[in-house]
Amino acid sequence: MLTVCHLYPDLLNLYGDRGNVAVFLRRCQWRGIPVRLLEVRFGESVDFTKVDFLFLGGGSDREQQLVVTDLLPRLANLRQAIEEGLVVLAICGGYQLLGHYYQTVEGRKLPGLGILDLYTEAGEDRLIGDVAVKVQVGGRSQILCGFENHSGRTFLGQVSPLGRVLRGFGNNGRDGTEGARYKNVFGTYLHGPLLPKNPAFADYLINLALARRGLEIMLPPLPDVLEKKAREVILRRLRLRGS
Amino acid sequence: MQVRMLSALWAGKITVKLARLAGGKGSSFPGKVALYLFPQALEAWAQKLNSRIIVVTGTNGKTTTNNMLASIFSSLGYRVLTNREGANLASGLASAFIRSASWKGNLSCDWALLEVDEAAFSKVTAHLKPAVVVVTNFFRDQLDRYGELDRTVSLVKEALSQLPPTKLVLNADDPLVVKLADTSHPVLFYGIGVPVRAGKEEESCREARFCPYCGRELQYQYYHYSQLGAYYCPGCGFARPPTQVEALAVRILDGHVSCQVRVGDQVVDCELPTLGFYNVYNALAVFGVGMWLGLSPEVIARELGRYVPATGRLQRFVHRGRPVYLNLVKNPAGFNETLRLLSMSSETKDVFIALNDNEADGRDVSWIWDVDLENLLPRSTVLSFVCSGRRAADMAVRLRYAGVPLGKIEVLPRLEDGVRTTLGGRGKSVYFLATYSALWPVEKLLRRYGKEERDADRLPSLS
Ligand SMILES: [Zn+2]
Repeated sequence: MLTVCHLYPDLLNLYGDRGNVAVFLRRCQWRGIPVRLLEVRFGESVDFTKVDFLFLGGGSDREQQLVVTDLLPRLANLRQAIEEGLVVLAICGGYQLLGHYYQTVEGRKLPGLGILDLYTEAGEDRLIGDVAVKVQVGGRSQILCGFENHSGRTFLGQVSPLGRVLRGFGNNGRDGTEGARYKNVFGTYLHGPLLPKNPAFADYLINLALARRGLEIMLPPLPDVLEKKAREVILRRLRLRGS
Repeated sequence: MQVRMLSALWAGKITVKLARLAGGKGSSFPGKVALYLFPQALEAWAQKLNSRIIVVTGTNGKTTTNNMLASIFSSLGYRVLTNREGANLASGLASAFIRSASWKGNLSCDWALLEVDEAAFSKVTAHLKPAVVVVTNFFRDQLDRYGELDRTVSLVKEALSQLPPTKLVLNADDPLVVKLADTSHPVLFYGIGVPVRAGKEEESCREARFCPYCGRELQYQYYHYSQLGAYYCPGCGFARPPTQVEALAVRILDGHVSCQVRVGDQVVDCELPTLGFYNVYNALAVFGVGMWLGLSPEVIARELGRYVPATGRLQRFVHRGRPVYLNLVKNPAGFNETLRLLSMSSETKDVFIALNDNEADGRDVSWIWDVDLENLLPRSTVLSFVCSGRRAADMAVRLRYAGVPLGKIEVLPRLEDGVRTTLGGRGKSVYFLATYSALWPVEKLLRRYGKEERDADRLPSLS
């Protein structure tokens, strides 16, 4: 039984984020993998070491701050789970708050959780549009595609990027990096949402979650014809045919 | 000043003609030209009307409310100027004035009824100085263009507080709208005062879970949809305010909605020739405007009973004897309402969804994942789903993860292919849902293959 935890579905759900959770759940169910959903709201308790897939969506500055105050007291528990291989997907605001801080336009530094060695500064204009990123996961290269919409510019310290920007802006529109990866923690600006558009990446996350429970299995393929069509529309538009 | 205004007007008028020759509707571009030549054009025209201007803003219901107002004002013998739907930014408003103005610059109207985009509200209303402002509701819409909802609400509020005396008509059932009553303007509230529909409320698309004043989670006695309902804050006492216009009873019947409305201390019956429950709100807003202007509630009720829906507002067609409906969907709240409507009849149906991502639709289509398809989709009665438009495949993926079997989903990005295939279905009725930029092309196709039904008289008369 895999446990999926959607953290703060009420506070962090900006751009159809719950689609990521829906896709993870369905792709397990279609293969007969028992899975359950835990929605954890503000102030509710949860043991992260018992969770297999943790999802954090996007939210405004105000909501991110609320979330950080709620998570700080249980940071040790979350860190322990992450060191043990907990699979985390954090998008936009959820990604930013895993870093050291978020600096607002006025120059205020809002503290983050410090799980990923990165920080974010608010920019003047928003980085908006279709985006494609080349990632290396499970020894293979994939193209992730999605939509980005963020004013924050994220700069990485001693942490690897999730991938290289092929089209779009990525972390900051300057250094060509997109997202971050530490162990099984994935942070990214890609929404759209991410997993419905990138079923191979969704399956990779499912495999990681199963592997952490000692189950090294080959996932049976699913008929992803519609997903392929949806990807092709964006890849063709970005002049990245194929894959 | 007069010279600049006239030259801007003429340039605009010539652009209208050119646009017509080129086959366009000319709904925004002439205004753009005029405003470029004379940035104060809106102000100058508004002055001519001496604030006989009504502005309707909010996320959903602007067009319907404005059209209802227009038909009532016309029936009372007023000449009205309205902007074409969607042309609700400054350029669209300027275009409306250009159409109504003579070459000498005189306006051939008594009232201007304008729908204004909620995000553009702060930029245009200062120029208009409207007599009455209606705010319908605030939902998430086209996030990539507007940023966050909180910001939109505070911009509207700021703009309102800078206006000279304006009368407000506010939806009491939306906590985000009620916040606007903090400005010093006289306010009239409208709302639906009784629970109409039982059932679990979707949490995913409630915009305002928390009290706008103290941040506590709002409690509800009942919901109508999304965050609309009878709310109160256990922290600071913020609650749905008492209303001056209130629906006392609402019955959703086959093909129409019947309601009893209290306007001040008068009660009138009102039959709305629409399937959509949410149109009750639009009708109440109209009663509110009428109350500020001293219009008779009976006359308003009578006119509303004859209301013909605008393009894509549950517009009715007939194709080979089957009823065909066309409805605009542009955000999760509205899409959810449309799904509820589909579940109301137990007949079999075919469903067409056109999802575009042009500028007017919002470039980002991720909002379809906030639509509560999992809980609201009447799976058993829908025989087929045809997904069309530029992002047809995205819609298809969404349906798949909502549990629709692959065999029921077809992807036909070209609208014409999609419309024809859907009309060839076997359902007893057909529903066409389309985002903004797909709406008119789909309407045109439905007119070609079917026949529009504008027969509001088939309803039992009340008088
Ligand atoms: Zn409160």
